[in-house]
Amino acid sequence: MTGPARLSSDLDALLRRVAQGDRDAFAAVYDLTHSRVYGLVVRVLRDAGYSEETTQEIYLEVWRTASEYDSAKGSALAWLLTMAHRRAIDRVRAEQAGSRRESRYGAANVDPAGDTVADSAIAADERRRVRACLDALTDAQRQCIELAYYGGLTYPEVSQRLATNLSTIKSRIRDALRGLRNCLDVP
Amino acid sequence: MTEPTHFELLELATPYALHAMSDAERADIDRRVGAAPSPVATAFADEVRGVREAMAIVSAATAAEPPAYLRAATLALAQPDSGRQSHWRTAAFASAAAAIVVGAAAFGIGVLMRPHPTQTVAEQILAAPDVRTVSRPLANGTATVMFSRDRNAGVLVMNNVPPPAPGTVYQMWLIGSNGPTSAGTMGTAAVTPSTTHMFDSLGSSTALAFTVEPGNGSPRPTSAILAELPLS
Repeated sequence: MTGPARLSSDLDALLRRVAQGDRDAFAAVYDLTHSRVYGLVVRVLRDAGYSEETTQEIYLEVWRTASEYDSAKGSALAWLLTMAHRRAIDRVRAEQAGSRRESRYGAANVDPAGDTVADSAIAADERRRVRACLDALTDAQRQCIELAYYGGLTYPEVSQRLATNLSTIKSRIRDALRGLRNCLDVP
Repeated sequence: MTEPTHFELLELATPYALHAMSDAERADIDRRVGAAPSPVATAFADEVRGVREAMAIVSAATAAEPPAYLRAATLALAQPDSGRQSHWRTAAFASAAAAIVVGAAAFGIGVLMRPHPTQTVAEQILAAPDVRTVSRPLANGTATVMFSRDRNAGVLVMNNVPPPAPGTVYQMWLIGSNGPTSAGTMGTAAVTPSTTHMFDSLGSSTALAFTVEPGNGSPRPTSAILAELPLS
């Protein structure tokens, strides 16, 4: 098995134990995934404090809802990161909608471009492979992923931001993901 | 499958999977997928799944190490009562709850009045769309509150906070426009390496503060605030 596949199969077994209330298994889930989860959250929120809070909410949701994970519907890693992304997006939209944004949001930014970690759980060659697949996208496609996935913009907002019509944006997002899936060998 | 509306629906599977749409549009799509013929619904689900699997792998590219203290603070949230309804009334929790002075009676009322018969108050808070988490150092440990304004309630988890000196208590205060209102006390026996407390009436308070008070607590804070957690 390759890195992510192996990780997902370990997570599968661990989540079943978490669903039974096994705190050691919960700690193992955290240890295996925290850098992916926190890294994604901080990339979206760009604020260390918010990201720590949101990361805690995500893992509490894992603890609470592990029994709802269904391996027939996707990998454990995808289940976890989908949940993480959803929470981060909800938070960034709430902050942007609220007045607190001015007082705190963006005040303590982290460097999103920095290569911040060498996580032992994520092999260097896997990171290289993913980077290469991202680099293989067109600039326009990458920009759409950046705004929609990491920026928390809805696709109509992406269209507005780029002054490009909606159907073009939808195609770009779809093509970007098709390209990534081909490159990463995700059926 | 070839109907234009179905094609349009499938086109939206990618932004749907990326959470790149408003909640209203998302709900609309859920409804349309639910009503679509099964091959369309299957194609939609396959696309969503593929996108999510791909982005899960892509997470390797953004991985970043959180501060080390986040591990203990996060693992402390995994309490038998953190939303696990079947464990909520275990003996262990019942004894912990009995040690908590304020909130026990009101919590009972909360249980009776809860809108969903299988959800605990803690679950309702954690499931609330507006749930927020705030953590601050307290003594040598951490105090974390997860709260919901919609539910008007919160759950406090204290991790590795040392018990107060004998003859004193930790007193919690909800701070509002009329100043601090006591939200309960914890004596030496009530504070364990991992202590949980429910707040069932946040009202218009803007912060939760902790002080050390003599005896069984004070009507007003008499010492400096040890920690203050903003509830906004």
